[in-house]
Amino acid sequence: MDHHSIYISLLANTVKAGTILLFPTIGEIFTERAGILNLGVEGMMLIGAFIGFIVAYTTKDPYLGFFAGTIAGGIASLIHAFISITLRGNQIVSGLALTIFGGGFTTFYGQKWINMTLNNTLPTVKLPILSKIPYIGPIFFSQDLIVYLSYITVLVMWFILYKTTMGLNLRAVGENAKAANAMGISVYRVRYMWTFFGGLLAGAGGAYLTTSYAPFWLDGITAGRGWIAIALVIFAMWDPLKALFGAYLFGGINALQFQLQASGTTIPSAILNMLPYIGTFIVITISSIIVKTRHVRPPKELGIPYIREEK
Amino acid sequence: MLYFEKRQSVPRYFKVIIPIISLLIGLIIGAIAVAIVGINPLDVYGGILSNAFGSWYAFSETLVAATPLILITAGLIVVFRMNVWNIGAYGQYIMGAIFSSYFALFASHGLSKPVMLAVMVISSMVGGAIWALIPTLLKIFWEVNEVITTLLLNYIALYTLKFLMYGPWKNPESYGFPLSKTFPQTAILPVLFKGTRLTVGIIFALIAVLIVWFLIKKSKFGYEVRIIGDNPLAAKYAGISVNRNIIIGMAINGALAGLAGMTEVSGIVHYLQVKIGADYGYTAIIVAWISYLDPLVTILASILFGGLASGGYSLQITMRVSYGIVGLIESITLFSLVGAQIFLNYKLRWKNGSS
Repeated sequence: MDHHSIYISLLANTVKAGTILLFPTIGEIFTERAGILNLGVEGMMLIGAFIGFIVAYTTKDPYLGFFAGTIAGGIASLIHAFISITLRGNQIVSGLALTIFGGGFTTFYGQKWINMTLNNTLPTVKLPILSKIPYIGPIFFSQDLIVYLSYITVLVMWFILYKTTMGLNLRAVGENAKAANAMGISVYRVRYMWTFFGGLLAGAGGAYLTTSYAPFWLDGITAGRGWIAIALVIFAMWDPLKALFGAYLFGGINALQFQLQASGTTIPSAILNMLPYIGTFIVITISSIIVKTRHVRPPKELGIPYIREEK
Repeated sequence: MLYFEKRQSVPRYFKVIIPIISLLIGLIIGAIAVAIVGINPLDVYGGILSNAFGSWYAFSETLVAATPLILITAGLIVVFRMNVWNIGAYGQYIMGAIFSSYFALFASHGLSKPVMLAVMVISSMVGGAIWALIPTLLKIFWEVNEVITTLLLNYIALYTLKFLMYGPWKNPESYGFPLSKTFPQTAILPVLFKGTRLTVGIIFALIAVLIVWFLIKKSKFGYEVRIIGDNPLAAKYAGISVNRNIIIGMAINGALAGLAGMTEVSGIVHYLQVKIGADYGYTAIIVAWISYLDPLVTILASILFGGLASGGYSLQITMRVSYGIVGLIESITLFSLVGAQIFLNYKLRWKNGSS
């Protein structure tokens, strides 16, 4: 491979690795916009990755696997929704419980799947015309269908958030639930809906990991990506379009790490594996400073349970 | 329809009954999870019980697992009371292990056992505290979310440990296994009872709990912590320095987690390796919650969850039941606990017709 094609393949892998983070980041942005903090992203991703893997493995259909993993993430999020919305429990602790649950569940049921490999991964579908564009084509438009789905998700979700009544209601609920309720919006329904949506997308991120980027099963295969996604929400300042940049930045670190390891570098692998976490650490620190100085802020009632007045 | 009505007073027994019921729910769902894969839950729980409490040796192993849990939880209580979420106890534990191992491996020459152990205790506490203070300072100066930073520091600590174990600190005679040289005899914590692995570490843990109990219940610091937890704004108006108390709390938390790491390498493993201890950081969060952040109750809860961890671990070897079952039971218990908090403030009522 000449230098030129090495860079192209590195960038194409950046998009793939970024997609794993992009779905959960978008999902968490919407959950948080509704005022619910879900720290269970890592757990939901693990469940999505596991269910996605075993369904793809047994049916030999990676699309079905991806779909099943997505649904599984959504179902897992409902536990958190019930505890934080209906029972008004502490969202930080409930989210952590969800992360522990995802780890326990997949370790327990995943025992006999360890080291199994998927033969039918998501196939590459080159888009006509678009894939012929120099540089852009091979990087962005010679991917699998789920990557294209992620592009559409970003655009549609940006549109919903800023240009529709649904988005307006969502933001109202996260900013001031009481006022939203007075406007006739069902706070509980909106919060349930977007927590579930966040779960679906976390599941999608996990399922994409095991049906495309890393098509095998290992204990704890998501390796902290759920936490990176939560950090990216702050980096993106709760904006789906900015999430795209954050996700690809970390996708790039991932792809680079992989490429270096494959090329037999002398850098110790422990140091290479540490890079995404150090990167996230730096990024979240810088974004927090920017958030503080620019007066961009999280949804006002993030993490605060809503209690409708009972007479 | 069902609805919640505000409670005027909370029956006292609720605080006892809720944790017990939560644990029961955890065990019942755990039993269902086990039954699904065709294993008899009674065998599993019987196995955990006998491996955790069935004999003096089994119980001593439970106390071995409870030692780091008690130490970590004692610190968590202090910061959780101020609504500061340290999820990084695991990283602080690893740093404590690394710092104290440095002296055991490279600076033990000519030191007597008491001096050596004192150096290791202090260095582990310093290491853990430094690791806890990084995210604390970032939180205080720039409002960087400590849940995320402490968690990321877990991974960074783990890979630092891996780097040392595969690289500079690796024992050249370990046949490729990622572990350090064995500690000199002077760097090993004395065992309390012959034939067990229970060391004076458990005494460190009990002392730590007593100190935390005193701090929380009897000192000005504890009083301020309580006000900060109830209402940080009111605390500010009352002239309490919230930041100073958070720094002190996190330093205590990190130091105790670091000490837990030291008791593990110096007391149990006797060398440094990639896998030291189980996921004590997460389990300690559950222990703290199930004890309602009460230092004395954490001793009991730590023994309970230490038993679950130790029994579950033995089960993995003897019955080949995945250790994941422990995480499942723990998480369901935690879900139930958090969910049940509502019953402390509200009662469930039934109302006819629509509201």
